[in-house]
Amino acid sequence: MVNPVLLIAVPLGLAFAIPVLSLFSKRIAKFVPPIALSFNLIVSMLLLPKVLEIPLIVSIGGWRPPFCINLVAGPLGVLFSAIIALVGLLVSIYALDYIKEGATEKYHMLYILLLTGATGVVLTGDIFNLFVFFEILCISSYALVAYLRERSGIESAVKYLIQGAVGSSLLLIGIGLLYGLFGTLNMADIAQNIKSASPVSVFVPMVLIITGLGVEAAIFPLNAWLPDAHSSAPSSISAILSGIAIEIGLYAVARVIFTIFGAQSFLLFLALLGILTLLVGEMCAFSQNNIKRMLAYSSIGQIGLILFALAIATSYGVTSGLFQLVSHTLSKALLFLATGYMIYQTGSLQISDLEGMGKKMPLACLAFTVGAFSLVGLPPFIGFPSKFLIIRAALATKETYFCVLIGLALLGTVIEAGYFFRVVQLLYFKGGKINPGPKEAPVTALIPMFIFVVLIVVVGVYPKLVTDVLNSAASELLSRTEYIKAVLGSIL
Amino acid sequence: MSFLNSYIYYIGAFGLILIGLYIILVKHNLIKVIIGLGILDTGVNLFLISVGYITKGTAPIFSRSGIDSERMVDPVPQALVLTAIVIGVAVLALALSLAIRLYQHYGTLNLRKIREQKW
Repeated sequence: MVNPVLLIAVPLGLAFAIPVLSLFSKRIAKFVPPIALSFNLIVSMLLLPKVLEIPLIVSIGGWRPPFCINLVAGPLGVLFSAIIALVGLLVSIYALDYIKEGATEKYHMLYILLLTGATGVVLTGDIFNLFVFFEILCISSYALVAYLRERSGIESAVKYLIQGAVGSSLLLIGIGLLYGLFGTLNMADIAQNIKSASPVSVFVPMVLIITGLGVEAAIFPLNAWLPDAHSSAPSSISAILSGIAIEIGLYAVARVIFTIFGAQSFLLFLALLGILTLLVGEMCAFSQNNIKRMLAYSSIGQIGLILFALAIATSYGVTSGLFQLVSHTLSKALLFLATGYMIYQTGSLQISDLEGMGKKMPLACLAFTVGAFSLVGLPPFIGFPSKFLIIRAALATKETYFCVLIGLALLGTVIEAGYFFRVVQLLYFKGGKINPGPKEAPVTALIPMFIFVVLIVVVGVYPKLVTDVLNSAASELLSRTEYIKAVLGSIL
Repeated sequence: MSFLNSYIYYIGAFGLILIGLYIILVKHNLIKVIIGLGILDTGVNLFLISVGYITKGTAPIFSRSGIDSERMVDPVPQALVLTAIVIGVAVLALALSLAIRLYQHYGTLNLRKIREQKW
């Protein structure tokens, strides 16, 4: 039996081994992240079939829950840790050649720490532990945004840091209030006792926690940092921030609302916020000239759509939300990776400078096209089944509220198609200036892109591959009593 | 007066939190904003400690006889605060190092003048 603690302990150990290793050789550092993340991928894959039957509860320190810090490796947690490890592994292979300047060993150390924090957030069953892992994720991403030490990177890292730090303080106040109310930090234990407190005294910590997490999840009024940070980070980091970091924030919001508070009435408000986030993101993306800012705003839009789908809160709705989350992670990571080398070769972030790149970098442009079509939701790619499921879930509720909102979401998708098709058209059908030079990306960049493309097409053609896992992950989110029983079962 | 006695720590904690938020929202100088972050952190830490505090309480040491368990303070918030302090130090250190870099690039710490990134 593999212990889920290894998913956190091994990468953490390897991350802190990097400074020691780089004393001997500067070149070792960049091979550590692929090793750590392939280990995580293998362990998650080994755990996945087991946790689909029964969630694994790991108590740390030999105490029983709720007195110890515990890890809950349910279908949802292990699914997320597998996705984090998969995307992290592919992006770390990409970074082997992409990251050449600066203190590379620090880059690789922070990179592993970021992904370890993300894995910790999805596996933990203790709300303060969630805060700690969340901070590991946030602090390493602040540092990585500023990695290139350019003007724009530093400026956006400062913005990101200030907003993120205020957000995590709010989160900590919320956790303190919850501890004052219930005298416990275990999520299952809080969930069990939540009914015993008065609604008002629960509402205040809930709002504080959701606001705090919402900063990282980039929910609409709290997302001012995102386009700056995602567009000025190195492209490999943009891929991880867009593909993983904001999704983890969203996971934490969903976990807090569904499992801890069980707040059904709050969800209607979140659905509205989701659609607002979607429309704001897509409209801003439409008017961008900078390709990475366009992708960053598109991430805001996709986050809104996922939030909306999760807030439908039926079994269909949550499944489709998680599916959209997986689809966004794969497609957006691919888009940022493909864009990374286009920018590297042309030396410009402007969309208009990418004219005619389809002939000079055919493979990278093909990858970009697949990612763009998948995000828009064209049939052979993964975006199609996920968006289709969201629409079906919204219509299946038979409530006017959700039907109107899904109409607005479709409007957002049309805008999205508008700006993505414009870029794809520019890549292939415009002559472009005759500037010598742009060559195809190196093999270490093409292999991860190829794997992403294969995954996007295969899952898009045959969505049954993932829907079973997503279904049980969704039922873990929706059934609070099962979760409480699984964690505290030995005591009750 | 008894109200003040029993809630003085909460009043102080939320006072610090509000002062910190005010500084972050209003001040233009990055160093002042970072100081605001520090004050906000302190307020949150004081709040966490006061959640578990009992007036005239003692440390929860069970091995030493003669300590009434009724008067022991709750040790969990103190463990939380230790962690939160460490996290706060990391954030402040990173913020200050970014402030140095920002000054090297722009020659100013006035956040109103540094606005190349826009919507």
